[in-house]
Amino acid sequence: MATVREKGYYHWDGQLAERRFPWLPITRTGILLAFKKRGFRFLFAGAFLPSVVFLAIIYISEHLADFKFWARGSEQFITITPGSFKVFLTNQGFLFLMIAMLVFAGAGLIADDLKHNSLQIYFSRPLRKKDYLLGKMAVVFFFILIVTLVPGLLVYIFKLIFDGSFKFFLDYPWLVLSIIGYTAMLAVFFAFYTLLLSALSKNSRYVMILVFMIYIFSDILYGILQSIFRTPYMSLFSIRANIVQVGAFVFAQKPSQAVPVVLSFLVLGGICGLSALVLNRKIRGVEVIR
Amino acid sequence: MSAVIETKKLSKWYGNVLGLSDVSLEIESGITGLLGPNGAGKSTFMKLVTGQMKPNIGRVTVAGQDVWNNYRVFARIGFCPEQDAFYGDVTGWEFLTGLLRLSGYSRAEAAEMAARALEIVELSKDKDRKIRSYSRGMRQRVKFAQAVAHDPDIIILDEPLSGLDPLGKRRLIRLIKDFQNEGKTIIVSSHVLPEIEAMTSRIVMIHQGKILAQGDIHSIRDLIESYPHMISLRCGNPRAVAARFVSDASILKISFGPDGRSLVVETHKRDAFFSRLQSVVLEDGIEVEELTSPDDNLQAVFDYLVVK
Repeated sequence: MATVREKGYYHWDGQLAERRFPWLPITRTGILLAFKKRGFRFLFAGAFLPSVVFLAIIYISEHLADFKFWARGSEQFITITPGSFKVFLTNQGFLFLMIAMLVFAGAGLIADDLKHNSLQIYFSRPLRKKDYLLGKMAVVFFFILIVTLVPGLLVYIFKLIFDGSFKFFLDYPWLVLSIIGYTAMLAVFFAFYTLLLSALSKNSRYVMILVFMIYIFSDILYGILQSIFRTPYMSLFSIRANIVQVGAFVFAQKPSQAVPVVLSFLVLGGICGLSALVLNRKIRGVEVIR
Repeated sequence: MSAVIETKKLSKWYGNVLGLSDVSLEIESGITGLLGPNGAGKSTFMKLVTGQMKPNIGRVTVAGQDVWNNYRVFARIGFCPEQDAFYGDVTGWEFLTGLLRLSGYSRAEAAEMAARALEIVELSKDKDRKIRSYSRGMRQRVKFAQAVAHDPDIIILDEPLSGLDPLGKRRLIRLIKDFQNEGKTIIVSSHVLPEIEAMTSRIVMIHQGKILAQGDIHSIRDLIESYPHMISLRCGNPRAVAARFVSDASILKISFGPDGRSLVVETHKRDAFFSRLQSVVLEDGIEVEELTSPDDNLQAVFDYLVVK
């Protein structure tokens, strides 16, 4: 005799508590979807390469006697200072890897939702716009902080371990805060930068190109203008140069450009402000019939 | 009975385009059909009711609370949009559990509720397939499942039957009626009258952003009956068929096609004509090749009613 299955309506008897982090499912989904993308895992692993190299340099610097054949004449270059951390976290290759990672993990964050009309389903749930945006930003935070903050702090701890003393900590007690502050700034800037571009199109491939090209083009533009006008202020056109300037300030190093750091803060802050304006306008824009 | 959803002088426009104009409605529990041609303002109305859009004028209250910017009310609402609204790369299971997690349920609760909702729409076996591989009907069902999975009091369904085969439509209609019996408030939109008629007798007709008629389906039917329908029939001997209908007072006009194998009938009483045609075809053994209604669309009916 066939089993009669009850298919009537199901009542949920529980009490729906207000969640403390309603944005968390969006973040989790964003991270999982990034790892499903072809080639992303390889890129993600590659983003740790600079950290591994820096760790090796720290190890060598603390065991110079073992490496004197290799390191002869270059002792002064492998002496670890806050400047070394600045170089590690602001070097061109490392920033490029981060952009490459955002191209895969960040470009589709909003673009795909716009393409798939998902916003109407999200916003028919107890979810606010700020929860949605925070959830999307947290995806970028996750990827940026995991390749900058986590290795930065680990490398710092290994430096103390290899050193076998707290001298480095006592010499530069503010360095941990600098690492946290700089990587947090980087995460916030890249989150706004990526979401701004992701909200501009429904086509995530187009956004991927934008994320990559705007970063590269701003640097090329800086080079061209610099050669024409011969003024360091042209570095304000470059996203990378502004990040490096801010990095130098946070790690108490001499800025590479003779430009007030506050201007670089203003440029990066301006991009974040523009992003906030665009996001505020676009993330309800699904309603508009054109 | 008190209204669950109430709109007062609701208006919404998009630049120069009027989406909805001065709509005041009181919707009680049970099924309310929202009937109108494409572009009439049904989806705009639904998005206003689900709090996704801010009205330019007027207000919407759900269970006595303003819906705009009141995200807590959304937990009581289930919304099934007209267009597909999901990532093709996720499975039906991931789609449902993800949305339930967004609604605030724990992982275990979300899993239990998603399993139940998928069972209701008969997608349990296909839950681990990517949505990209689903047929149109399956996509429609998974979309419906996400609207009801969190046990909402108010269910808003925008064209839920589009893309379903006749059997699928019957199943979904039965399911929607089951929800009605549970005391839920359901708004269903469609541009196909028989679909709405199969679900409810309480309908609201909307056209060009305005409420054209509201009330029991029978009074709306009467309105529609006053509209002369054209029915085209293709068979071996159209003149013999015409002879059987000539004496019928409800027939306004009969004309024949140039090929001598078709006739076009104009009548006020479409349903009566179809009923009579059925017996004529059976009695006379007529082989019908094609039966169509060239103007049987709501747009034509609405245009007629507006002019009238």
